[in-house]
Amino acid sequence: MIVTNKKEKMGYYLFLLPAYLIFTVFIFWPVIHSSYLSFFKYNIITITSPDFVGLKNYKFLFNDEVFWTSIKNTVIFVISTVPVKMALGIMLAMLLNRKDLRFKTFYRTCFYIPVVISMVAISIVWMLLFNPGPNGVVNILLSKFGVKPLGWIADSNLSLLTVMLLVIWKDLGYIMVIYLSGLMRIPDEIYEAVALDPVSSWQKFWYITWPLLKPTTIFILITQIIESFQVFTPIYVITEGGPGYSSTTIVNYLYQKGFREYEMGIACAVAYLLFVVLLILTMLQNKISKAEEIRYD
Amino acid sequence: MKKILLYVIITITAFFMLSPMLWMVSTSFSKDSIIASANIIPRDFTIENYIKAWNFPKVFDKSVTFGTFFLNSVIVTACLVVGGLFVDSLAGYVLARKDFPGRNVFFYAALATLMIPIYVTAIPMFLIVRGLGWINTYEALIIPFLSSGFGIYMFKQYFQTIPIELEEAAKIDGYSDFWIYARVIVPLAKPAFGTMAILKFMWSWNMFFWPLIVTTDIKMKVLQLGLTMFRGLNVTQWGLLTAGMTIATLPPVIIYIIFQRYFTGGLMAGSLKG
Repeated sequence: MIVTNKKEKMGYYLFLLPAYLIFTVFIFWPVIHSSYLSFFKYNIITITSPDFVGLKNYKFLFNDEVFWTSIKNTVIFVISTVPVKMALGIMLAMLLNRKDLRFKTFYRTCFYIPVVISMVAISIVWMLLFNPGPNGVVNILLSKFGVKPLGWIADSNLSLLTVMLLVIWKDLGYIMVIYLSGLMRIPDEIYEAVALDPVSSWQKFWYITWPLLKPTTIFILITQIIESFQVFTPIYVITEGGPGYSSTTIVNYLYQKGFREYEMGIACAVAYLLFVVLLILTMLQNKISKAEEIRYD
Repeated sequence: MKKILLYVIITITAFFMLSPMLWMVSTSFSKDSIIASANIIPRDFTIENYIKAWNFPKVFDKSVTFGTFFLNSVIVTACLVVGGLFVDSLAGYVLARKDFPGRNVFFYAALATLMIPIYVTAIPMFLIVRGLGWINTYEALIIPFLSSGFGIYMFKQYFQTIPIELEEAAKIDGYSDFWIYARVIVPLAKPAFGTMAILKFMWSWNMFFWPLIVTTDIKMKVLQLGLTMFRGLNVTQWGLLTAGMTIATLPPVIIYIIFQRYFTGGLMAGSLKG
């Protein structure tokens, strides 16, 4: 090792300065300030400085029906989209992982393209595809099977479902790619060991592949739950939370309170409740992935 | 026989996955008609929609068009990619190579930023940006996102795989740490820079929530925000609308297809090692 002097060590902090200055101003300070503001009434249009109100913002949320609706919608969104995405993702990965399949890169590209395209652009296309009434593309296709035109984004029973279909379709390729990398790390010898035994491919999947994929599955499950809890863009673009509040999620509610009604205190309280949930999930993931690593090695 | 079935299934699935985009591209080349169609082959082929889309919307301000939004996105994305790579790799370099008080604190702080979603910090961030007078400026769109915990982590991991002997030789020759970073480390870490550049490009190009809250002036809107102005057309001008969406979708798709080896590789390294 080369001996370093004090002046040189000071230089190291200069390397860190730009990154950590930005972190401090735009992440660490806002995290603290956000919790502080959640105890204040602060409407940036009507009042100039925040008024301390204690737990009033949290009480307001607790009694606000729209807030509860947004939680209900978010939970429905998470528990419906995540398992479907994962089930379809693992099926695609199993198909693509077959040794005798050619044009693998081509197929993987087809499945992955929806992941990279802009959520806003595809959401607007989705509005056309799921246009209510007889002119909507999906309705035209359904009519060939004798199904009457559905209201989709204009129907409060179907609006959230329409967005869920979009998100499942868009994220499928991502889940598939992660599962593929998990599958590729399973050594061939494990399958060779049972090659002479009379086992079906279903048994092979259930007793060998699935247990070995457990770390991948847990990783995808928790990161996807965290991600899905924060769904905002497709709902903002397609339904704006409507009709009524039938597709309003937690982040849509936060946006509404903070940047439409300018009630910063209430919006910060929403942000904090969301943060606590996500933090618990993140810690859970760290804990599980550490335990899995030990077992795996 | 079984093999043919496999190809049939996988091809149908691939077609199904691409069909919304095939429909979008096909409609964008079709002559506008009020009655929608479920075709994926253009009817009455035309490129007129693209010309119209590029000059859309001109509503509030005659000089503001799709091209304005596109240019804003190019500027913001270019700054975030170039600036972001520099800021992240600088920090990643000392965290990978040097020993100094607080090193671990800095490293874990970078990881901690990954656990904090933007929605939690958005309101104080907005107040800071407003206090600085940055609403409707490029600064607001660029500076808060110049550094990323993920980027610092990726660079640190990659730099640690580079043999240290070269650096030690340069050190003995009396070169400064910054010279070594710029002339020894950066050239050896091209794959890491490539992967991060692509990830940062995708992220910057598609970002939506933050521009939505810090830009109100139509001249400052980035492409993703500009696109929402097309929503009003969904009753009549489907050709124009889909042409706009196709232009917006093209850059990430092209980048992905050209660089896909880097892209999926980096994505997996980041998501699975972390």
